[in-house]
Amino acid sequence: MRILLTVLFLVSGSLVLTACYEDVDVSIHEPGEYKGQKDPLLSELKQQQLQKELDERFKAGQSDR
Amino acid sequence: MARMKFLCDAERCIECNGCVTACKNEHEVPWGVNRRRVVTLNDGQPGEKSISVACMHCTDAPCAAVCPVDVFYTTEDGIVLHDKDQCIGCGYCFYACPFGAPQFPQQAAFAVRGKMDKCTFCAGGPEADNSDAEYAKYGRNRISEGKLPLCAEMCATKALLAGDGDLVADIYRKRVLKRGGRPQTWGWEAAYGSK
Repeated sequence: MRILLTVLFLVSGSLVLTACYEDVDVSIHEPGEYKGQKDPLLSELKQQQLQKELDERFKAGQSDR
Repeated sequence: MARMKFLCDAERCIECNGCVTACKNEHEVPWGVNRRRVVTLNDGQPGEKSISVACMHCTDAPCAAVCPVDVFYTTEDGIVLHDKDQCIGCGYCFYACPFGAPQFPQQAAFAVRGKMDKCTFCAGGPEADNSDAEYAKYGRNRISEGKLPLCAEMCATKALLAGDGDLVADIYRKRVLKRGGRPQTWGWEAAYGSK
């Protein structure tokens, strides 16, 4: 009986301890340096095509009336 | 390179809050956060003026200057965006912003604010363009689709303009020339016609 309880305690203890996992992927902050994810929009905006489209849309939709 | 800006023509703004509704609907903005809001002076009195206010995407953004974890970045054309994953919810950006643009969705114990949320110029954030993750965190990315911010596109009176600063300024300059009056003149003719 004692052995059974000990085994049960060890197994349940191991199961409970699995919840203690912590993701250690932390960002170390350095002053003035952006450490976030990359934004794919940045490279798209460098191309003139998208900017042209936006300007065309502006002229079509927001020009004065 | 173009510099994206907002301009709200106070002569034309009728406080319909169409811009507010459009923004809130398009991006499913959390409760308690108003990315865009209309501020009215002398409400109900002759000569009342309304102006639609959101993040102005400042060239020298004070929010970016004060952020202790540098979550802000600026695109080539001046759109100020931020990474919510890095945000610690300190609220410094809210205190620094003269327009009250950064806002926080939570009001929990121990001043827990949640992640900062603000107008993104409909440019989403640092996730894959038009992905579910980007939509959940930052709202719709209209700029990547070649569209302009919805608030300006929905504006019924064309009071709110959003786009290349040069083009916006050009339109406003023409309006001012057409109106020919002091900024304080008001009425239909002042907004649309000429005096």
